[in-house]
Order: sequence, then structure tokens, then C-alpha cells
Amino acid sequence: MQPTFEKQSFWKKLKSMLKVDFKRMFTMPLVYIMAGVSLALPILILVMTSTMGGADTNTGADAAGMFTNVWQAISSVSGGNAGMAMDLTTMCNMNLMYFMLAVLVCVFTADDFRSGYAKNLFTVRPKKIDYVCSKTVVLFAGGAIMMIAFFIGAMLGGAIGGLPFTMEGFHAGNLVACLFAKIFLVAVFVAIFFTFSVVAKQRTWLSILLSCGVGAFLFMMIPMMTPLNANFIHVIMTLAGGGLFAAGLGAVSCVILNKTSLV
Amino acid sequence: MNAIEIRNLTKNFGQKQALAGLNMTVPQGAIYGFIGENGSGKSTTEKLICGLLVPSGGSIKLFGRDYKDPDVRAKIGVLIEQPGCFPNYSVWNNMMLQAANLDIPNAAEEVRKVLRVVHMDGSASNKYKNCSLGMKQRIGIAMALLGKPALLILDEPINGLDADGMRIMRDVLVDITKEYRCTVVISSHILGELEKIATHYGIVRGGKMIKEMTAEELEADCRTFVALQTKDMEMARALLERKYSRVTLENEYIRIYDDVKAEEVVAYLYHELGIAVTEVRTDKIGLEEYYIDLMNKGVC
Repeated sequence: MQPTFEKQSFWKKLKSMLKVDFKRMFTMPLVYIMAGVSLALPILILVMTSTMGGADTNTGADAAGMFTNVWQAISSVSGGNAGMAMDLTTMCNMNLMYFMLAVLVCVFTADDFRSGYAKNLFTVRPKKIDYVCSKTVVLFAGGAIMMIAFFIGAMLGGAIGGLPFTMEGFHAGNLVACLFAKIFLVAVFVAIFFTFSVVAKQRTWLSILLSCGVGAFLFMMIPMMTPLNANFIHVIMTLAGGGLFAAGLGAVSCVILNKTSLV
Repeated sequence: MNAIEIRNLTKNFGQKQALAGLNMTVPQGAIYGFIGENGSGKSTTEKLICGLLVPSGGSIKLFGRDYKDPDVRAKIGVLIEQPGCFPNYSVWNNMMLQAANLDIPNAAEEVRKVLRVVHMDGSASNKYKNCSLGMKQRIGIAMALLGKPALLILDEPINGLDADGMRIMRDVLVDITKEYRCTVVISSHILGELEKIATHYGIVRGGKMIKEMTAEELEADCRTFVALQTKDMEMARALLERKYSRVTLENEYIRIYDDVKAEEVVAYLYHELGIAVTEVRTDKIGLEEYYIDLMNKGVC
């Protein structure tokens, strides 16, 4: 009997792939651990620095570059050398999440290759584009959750530590734009980290090493892209950057998957 | 139309040539026993068919189409080395994940069916990491059966199993060939088991196909022999060697490969030489012996 071969449309495959990846993402402990750490980290940082006398909560005076304001845990106001100074407020703010994102992306992707799941998948799916698209979308969602968890943690940490919530040099609209810009910037980093994960395949250590190396190189650019006084332009720029990086590096990832051995 | 048609397939890993112009033809509906020593290129060929490796040269066609055709590839079931499962997921969840990958409608029903086929329906809730090797192999086969594949590729599904596991696996393979009627390629070292189910054979050595044949051709190719035991094996052997040209001592039996009837040999030994035969039978060499002969460049 002659077998019949059903036409496999891209959207149909992408839909099933997204279903699987979202299911995997939210049934494995990794994303919850990362979200938990993202929530706990700003609480610890803000509570510890405020209780250690880092800031005078009555006057708001800065002591040795410590946090004097809750919003410093999110980002810094652009202008002058803001964001470029190597102090606690610029090193231990929301931008740290981009390093943690590297762990999420690399572990999640390496798991596909280590378990042999990628072998199952690529046997029945010779075109890799749906895999790359799905992974990018799902990991972006995971990264966005981490960002939101960090924001909530910063609010809680600020409240517990008694830090002021005053907005100086920016307003609520800028803060929302900053958060959106930071979330859209996740797409840029997901695309970079995912490409390294595809190169490294099951070698998680290699993908994390490469990702953190490049992450450190780009780290200084994040405050300029996502300042506290961000506006519509920053959001558009990060959104476009996210889209371009995802598309460009996604294509690179597809080529790598097509040209290299998958086992 | 052939299910698999491979021409001049080459694969190099750096300086090492794993496949050196391999040709392979698997007719549709065949159960193809893919035989060869370790490192002969069986697994490499299977991985190339599945698109897990990139060929250095040559062509692979599946059901008359290029092996990269997504429509064809969606109808391939594979078990290569270990099944691709997440260790902390249950068997059921792993199966459902693969069913979702294949976008199978009525996934739960289909998963239940394939687990029944591989005798794993009672262990669906077990965590994959807690399953035995035999169970894992059967899960891998169940996963490969999802989506009613037109071509099933099984790499060493029997290896490493104990006698009981092997028996269950043989039953499973027989059931699959009856129920699914798909083309199956099985590579295995355990030729005795393979011989019971295969309809076609391909023997590979040094990255080249050295022989392809049907089970009927193998049957015709395999030599018949008279096997006998006497009380004095050495004496009987020495005497038989005087009369017959191809006499060997194998597995505690004297074998005579000449075109001769068992009764004639018994009569010769008893009447001419006074040696009583305690056991005699006419038999054919099996796939294993045929393969060993071929590897030793002997004539079958």
C-alpha cells in the first residue's frame, strides 16, 4: 500500500512546537527557580543595603554608591555619566537579569540535546525554522517573567527596606517605557544566547560561558538603551532591535542546525 | 517504489571515513535487517537517513523523494541509541509531548494504543528515569510508532536486553510488523533474533554495502549440512574426511557440507567402519553463520 504524505504547513508546525515548548517551559522547575531568584534578589539587595546603613532614608543621602531610591534597582536616569559608573546601583540592578537569562536559555536549550529530544524532533522536522521561532518566543516569555518578578521584588524590597519611591528626573510614563524597553531587550539577548546554545548543543557550560562573555561585553550598553527616563523612542528601538536580532540570529541558528550534526 | 534508496553515500568525520559510497535499497513493506560489525557504518547510515548527520556526498531518497522533504520526514519513526525522553517526566508525559510535536489528533488515544503495542500500558505513570533498559527501549519504539509511520528505523533495539527483555521485544517487533505494515529497518548484532522477522538483509562492512538479499535468497544461499555425533568423534571425523571434501567439527558436531544424505553417512560409518552414530540430522546454516562466513570471505 502506498503511504500518503500530508502537507506540513509552517504555521501548523509552529503551533504544535509552541504548544510543546510552552508546556515544557512551565512544567519544568527551571523557570520557577529563575523567577523565584529574580523575585528574591532585589529584596535581598535592597533590604541588606538599606539595613547596613547604605542610605540615609530620612535625607536620601547616598553612602558609598549604595541605593538611595527604589527605582535605582530598576535602572538609572540617563545624562552625564549616569549608568556608566561602576557602583552598586548600576551593577546590581535589573540589568543583572540579562545574565540570569543566559542560564535560562542555555539550560533550557541544552536540555533538548542532552535528553535526545532534539533527535526525536529533527527526525520528523527537517526544517529548523519552527524550532528556532518557537524557542525564541518561549524563552522571551520566560525572560519577561523574570523581569516582572524582579520588578515586583524591587517594589517589595524597597518597601521592606524603607527606601523612598520618589521619582526624580522621570515620571511614571518613563518608568513604564523603561520596563517595556527592558522586556523588549530580552529578545535581543535571547537571540544571542540561543545562537550560542545551538552552537554548544548539549554542552551547557560552553553555551553559558559564551553567553556570559558576550553578555558582559554588552552589559554597559543596557543602561543607555533602557534608562529610567526612557520614552517612546527607547521602546521602539528595543522592539526593533529585538525583532532584528531574533530574525537575524534566528536565521544563523537555522543554518547552524542544518549544517552541523545534531547528535 | 522503494522506501529507501541510497546511492554512493559518503560520510567523513574529519580524516576518518565512516561511509565510503554506500548503496542501499529497502523495498516498501520490507523488514530490513541491517547487519554489520561495530563501526561498520550502520548507525551512521541510519542517522543520515534521519537527517541527524549531514552527508559528505551521495543521495538519499525516501519513498522516491529527497530525504529532506518535510512531508516524508513527518512519517518516519526512529529509535536510535536511547529514546529522546526527559528523565523527570512520566512515560505518559514524554509520549504526549512527542504526540504534540507530531500534531496527532486524539493524542491520548493514540498514545494509549502504542503503549499497549509495546506492552507498556501498565507503566505509563512511571517516571522515565525509573524505567529499566528494556522498558526504555520499548518506550522508544512506542514513540517511534506515534503518527503511524511509513518507515520505522530501529537501531540496535535488542542489544543490552536480558533473555526475557529480548523475548518481549521480539513479540513487540512481530506485533508491529503485523499491525502497522510499515517498512522497518532494524540493525542488530543479535542475528538469531533478526532472522526470525527480517524479509530482507543488508550486510555492511567498512562503510560499504557488501551484500543485499531477500530472506529467500539467504535461504537458497545457505548451505545444508549433515550434523552427527558418535562416541569417537575424532576417529569418525578422520574417516569422514577421507570420503567427503568439506568436513568440520563445530559445536560438538561433525558437519559434512557435501551434497550427501544423512542415511548415507550413517550407513557408511556403520557398515564400512563399524562406528555407531548417536545422533544425526540435516540442517542449514543460519544467518549468523552465513554472516561469519561472509566476513571471513568464505563461500556460502
